[in-house]
Amino acid sequence: MKAQYINSFYKAVLDVFRLMLDINPEREELTVVDDMIAGNEANVMIGITGDLAGSVLFGFTKDMTLEMVKIMSGMEMKKLDSFVSSALGEVVNIISGNAVTNLSKEGYTCDISPPQVIIGENRSISMATEKALTLPIKTEIGKFEINISVRENQ
Amino acid sequence: MWKEKYKIGVELIDGQHRELFRRVSDFVKTVQSEDKWDEKLSKVKETLEFMKAYVITHFDDEEAYQKEIGYPEYERHRQIHQRFKDEVQKYAEKFQEESYSEETVQEFGGKLMAWLINHVAGEDQKIGDFQNRGGSV
Repeated sequence: MKAQYINSFYKAVLDVFRLMLDINPEREELTVVDDMIAGNEANVMIGITGDLAGSVLFGFTKDMTLEMVKIMSGMEMKKLDSFVSSALGEVVNIISGNAVTNLSKEGYTCDISPPQVIIGENRSISMATEKALTLPIKTEIGKFEINISVRENQ
Repeated sequence: MWKEKYKIGVELIDGQHRELFRRVSDFVKTVQSEDKWDEKLSKVKETLEFMKAYVITHFDDEEAYQKEIGYPEYERHRQIHQRFKDEVQKYAEKFQEESYSEETVQEFGGKLMAWLINHVAGEDQKIGDFQNRGGSV
């Protein structure tokens, strides 16, 4: 798996976080993991089809998710309810849409499936995929990670 | 919810955006309040009816303005508006089917807020930028 796939997502995170949240994220070290597990308190899964096929899993803590929605709404958020998870899902959807645009500039034509939000860290779901890349991202309101597992369609 | 950085420098459009943000903000406040769902349902329905009509008025006005200044991305922008209107319509149908379930209305609220912020802070700014450059690409 090539680093440029994850770079397209990282660039999209930078743009969307600056635009929507006034936050400048910073990337940390990329690691390779054996499979993808939705092990965070708030997980959002996006499927990719087209020249690249696979999935991307975003994992956030509860605190960071509530803070993100607070910045957007200007209101204190207390729990990971349908409003909060839907807002988070839409942010990830926007990020992924931008990432697909970035990938198209690299010559990959792809599409994304609607985001699937998985709340609750005990709901671990093994994606049973090939190896995945994990990119931890640091922000002033917490840390989150992007896991990506895609292959090129011949 | 509204931020001054969302202004694009066109009075009519900025005014409508402010109103949209105000309404979405009210809507979120209502659906997130501790009151019983039955008690807030009339306010929820009223806001949804207003939004449905207002979004169309605003999109029409904004598209007319883009045409007037010869905005080159008019067609692409119109399609983004159309996809959003379709999405709102789908939710409106779902609300009817489910008699305005709290879960679906909350879901709609979250999506609407994030969509609006991204659209106004991103896509709509390009209209202002184009106009500020004197209408050249």
